[in-house]
Amino acid sequence: MADIERYKTPTSLAEATEILRAGNVTVLAGGTDLLPQTQAGRVHFQPTLMNVRRVPELQGIAEEGAVVRIGALVTITELLESALVRGRLGILWQACDHFASDQIRNAATVGGNLCNASPAGDTLVPLLALDARVVLAAKPDGAVQTRRVPLAEFLLGPGRTCRAPTELLAAVEVPLPPAGFAGEFYKHGTRPGLDIAAISIAAGARRDGAVLRDVRIAFGAVAPTVIRAPRTEAVLEGRAPDAATLAAAVHAALGEIQPISDVRASDWYRRELIGNILKRVLTHACQM
Amino acid sequence: MSETLIGKRIPKMDAPDKASGKTRYIQDLEVPGALHAKILRSTQVHARIVSIDTRAAKALPGVHAVITAADVPWQRPIGVGKDHLPLKTDRVRSLRDEVAAVAADSEAIAQAALKLIRVEYAPLPVIATTQQALAPDAPLIHPEPHGADSSAHLKVAGSPVAFTGKPDNVAMTFDYAQGDIAQGEAEADVVIEDVFRLHYVTHCCMGVSGVIAEFDPNGNLLLYSNTQVPFLHKREFAELLGIDPARIRIIQPPIGGGFGSKLDIYPFEPIAIFLAKITRRPVKLVFTREEEFLASPTRQPVLLKLRSGCRKDGTLTFRAVETVHDNGAYTSWGATTPFVMMQTISSLYRVPHCKYHTMAVYTNNPYAGSFRGYGNLQATFAVEAHMDKLAEAVGMDGLAFRLKNAQDPGEITPQGMHFKSCGFKQCLTTAAGRSDFLRKQAENRARWSDPAPVKRGIGVASMLHVGGGAKIYPSDGCGTILKLDDFAHVTLMTGASEIGQGSETVLAQLVCEELGLPLSAVTVVNNDTDITPWDVGVHASRTTFIAGNSAIGAARKAKKKILDAAAAKSGKRAEELGLSGGFVTSASGERLFELGKFLRSLHFSDKADLVMTTFYYEPPSRHQDKQFKGDVSAAYAWATQVCEIEVDTQTGIVRLLKVTGAHDVGRVLNRLGIEGQIEGGIVMGQGYAITEELRVENGVVRNPNFRDYKLVTAPEIPEMDVSFIETMDGEGPQGAKGVGEAPAICIAAAVANAIHNATGVRITALPFTPENVYRALHGASEPPVWNAA
Ligand SMILES: Cc1cc2nc3c(=O)[nH]c(=O)nc-3n(C[C@H](O)[C@H](O)[C@H](O)COP(=O)(O)OP(=O)(O)OC[C@H]3O[C@@H](n4cnc5c(N)ncnc54)[C@H](O)[C@@H]3O)c2cc1C
Repeated sequence: MADIERYKTPTSLAEATEILRAGNVTVLAGGTDLLPQTQAGRVHFQPTLMNVRRVPELQGIAEEGAVVRIGALVTITELLESALVRGRLGILWQACDHFASDQIRNAATVGGNLCNASPAGDTLVPLLALDARVVLAAKPDGAVQTRRVPLAEFLLGPGRTCRAPTELLAAVEVPLPPAGFAGEFYKHGTRPGLDIAAISIAAGARRDGAVLRDVRIAFGAVAPTVIRAPRTEAVLEGRAPDAATLAAAVHAALGEIQPISDVRASDWYRRELIGNILKRVLTHACQM
Repeated sequence: MSETLIGKRIPKMDAPDKASGKTRYIQDLEVPGALHAKILRSTQVHARIVSIDTRAAKALPGVHAVITAADVPWQRPIGVGKDHLPLKTDRVRSLRDEVAAVAADSEAIAQAALKLIRVEYAPLPVIATTQQALAPDAPLIHPEPHGADSSAHLKVAGSPVAFTGKPDNVAMTFDYAQGDIAQGEAEADVVIEDVFRLHYVTHCCMGVSGVIAEFDPNGNLLLYSNTQVPFLHKREFAELLGIDPARIRIIQPPIGGGFGSKLDIYPFEPIAIFLAKITRRPVKLVFTREEEFLASPTRQPVLLKLRSGCRKDGTLTFRAVETVHDNGAYTSWGATTPFVMMQTISSLYRVPHCKYHTMAVYTNNPYAGSFRGYGNLQATFAVEAHMDKLAEAVGMDGLAFRLKNAQDPGEITPQGMHFKSCGFKQCLTTAAGRSDFLRKQAENRARWSDPAPVKRGIGVASMLHVGGGAKIYPSDGCGTILKLDDFAHVTLMTGASEIGQGSETVLAQLVCEELGLPLSAVTVVNNDTDITPWDVGVHASRTTFIAGNSAIGAARKAKKKILDAAAAKSGKRAEELGLSGGFVTSASGERLFELGKFLRSLHFSDKADLVMTTFYYEPPSRHQDKQFKGDVSAAYAWATQVCEIEVDTQTGIVRLLKVTGAHDVGRVLNRLGIEGQIEGGIVMGQGYAITEELRVENGVVRNPNFRDYKLVTAPEIPEMDVSFIETMDGEGPQGAKGVGEAPAICIAAAVANAIHNATGVRITALPFTPENVYRALHGASEPPVWNAA
């Protein structure tokens, strides 16, 4: 087991990306994934441990034009306390309200949640439904450069992303959903708090008379990554959510998920839940 | 008169230190010069050990010893079944098995050394279920003798040095019968039969297991240990080492929870002792949380077939039970839980004809220990499901049916239990009345066909448990030494261990009651076998009852001594005198002597005398005979619990909303303490019923962590309405009976009945986790079948 040889606490994005460029770095944000994982021996520390919590460019929630920029270091607690998130990104706020416990929420960052790329990651599901993109920063040749990647492309598999080892996740950008857009996040675990999702659903839409528009649906814990459900969205788009449409939506959803059996739930049960809960969430959405 | 402390709300004496983090648990103890030990456990569920190479580990700087079975040829089998060697010789039988151990300068070095030990295994077929274990051609778990080798020089006469092996995989059997089952069947108008399946859980004590072992230069052994049975363990360790028990001293630091888990001797304790002996240094061994999940005892899975019958008028006529217990690879107390189960089967309700056959079967799974309730949760789960089913079959409501068959005070059951005090019927009517049980039950039932996905249910269950000790050892007694110093401060030295249950406080209270002193005048010493008198240990809900009576006995003797002396001095008769508010008082309440001053005068007089008394209380219970008949406890506790739940039929989530309990506790001594005990027990029962399960697949624990092993969390804790039925037991200390285990026992049974009331579906397998419930509600699970080979 390699030991940590250096501990770095950069105070600017330039400094942080410079350290990353030198290679063999483990990034530490809230540490709520990193520490359990290293202690269990599933992840090994690189010789350099870089605590990014003092990098100002990674902080803060801001509305810039029609986009909300959420810094990588924003904690779950900060998201919950943000009027902007609560008012305009309701399904993200709800996901945070289902996230772990107060102690973990104070430490856990949205950047850590994204980079950890768990198929059950709670903020990932609403962020995917909200068409978020991540901002990756690196300093390949003397200057900090950034690139933007849609979240759906960022996530490659359980614990895997397209982030290069020399890149830092700087922020996640969320285009503001259209006015009137509302939705619900549902997380199924065996208890009300402190649980990993057995399945989760973020669903939202805009009511246009009797029909739904801008339907967005994402699922957690039913595929190697959190996933969008484009075919399910298509079934619902422009339709009134009556019993037949809901049944068709469930049918489509079951075709889009590939759940597995693990210690939390069987694949069969996950399918049943997706069907039952999708109907429930859409019914709620229609009553709003 | 000083005011009585009995029945008051008295904070536990150890609460401020625990709440403020000042308590020093075994983890916090630093013994100068101590080494840190770690155990290498098997990576195979069932295998032959081909070779163990410890050379690299021994060479690691900072390592003081690396031991395997070869280094301790004199070790001998330990535990209830004496079928378990601390360090495994040629075979591992479960994933927790101890193969080697390291003592090093630090935990980190010990851990690193473990990684350097090379073990070669030759895998053997894994026996993952009792059914596999009982198959005719099943491989044997203990095929050959194992234990001390023939050259062992340390032989203690009469104690086995080796386990002789077992020709089959049956670790232990019990048979019990009363009446004539055929007659009971013939007399029944309704007969039902079901198979129930109970699951694995483990204690999850906040304080993990640990021990510090230290030899002095003369070879005397000092153990800092979390054990619940210090005096019996002295004997076990003495046998193990071949030394005189008098040379062993056990000190118990504050224990972070027991619940039965620390009732047996486990390999880690001898291993720490071996290492201390070999290195001649103190050795500290403390589990990690993961180890605690993997290598501490469990409440074992039980497959239970229950057949019962009653007449049309609701009178029970018979009950026949068969069980198969998954014993795991070694025999600890879990194998003997049928002893308690049969009491519930034969005597919770009046049943003239009973039959019970049970066996504990070896598998390659984690092995079963004792756990609060001791088999009673499993037995009650089945019996109370049938009480509902039979009631329904004869068209009676569940309450009337239970009242018809419930025990009354004075009853001596066919098994021989004598219910001198018995508030069972009051428990039933109180809990049912306060929860509005019958009305709610009818209402919920009427809503079965409602389209709403979330249903409500209410269910009732009751329990019987020993409440006055349990005579399972040659003695069930407890000793007390009581000393009054020259300032009238009392030191109460009791054999009873404190494991968080609040015994110090209640014992101090009982002494104060006798001596008319405030609680602040008492110090309790209860954790050092060199000082405290003998006791069989903290188990069987016995401490308040047994140690309480013992403390009262010692206090009364002291009181008599003081009053006799005061009589001589004052010229009054001793019978006219009393102790109150720190004074010797006259019949009229006049303060004659300040107690401290009076005691000093005794010390300094020409007939100098100290006030120091001893008392040994042995309850008037008896050993059962070979047919398991007899009155094992001096008193019995009763309880009824009504559970109200909500079940989401689209997810299977069951929420426990409210528990209305009525407990026959004899008498409330410390109201705050007993409320805490009952509330904690309810939550433990809730975990057993709804959230907890040690997931063991092919001998592998899949969830050895609190992320996946779900304890109940704060928002899930139900509303509780607990009533105390005070039957004032004649033998109990101030009328009290034991209550430690009672509150955890019938929650699962009541929740099962509530799920049926909510949905019309009866689930006979635990736990009621969302997926299990969802499957049962949607016909997607196989109900348990009787498949004992
Ligand atoms: C008790 C407990 C409960 C939990 N409950 C939940 C829950 O309900 N829902 C949920 O989704 N998760 C939960 N988690 C997981 C965890 O808290 C979250 O994933 C959290 O968001 C991780 O954030 P962090 O800041 O702690 O990340 P860290 O642990 O610091 O980092 C996680 C990973 O991301 C990398 N990383 C972090 N920040 C960056 C960055 N800016 N750029 C590049 N790489 C980076 C790290 O190197 C590491 O590999 C729980 C964890 C615990 C311990």
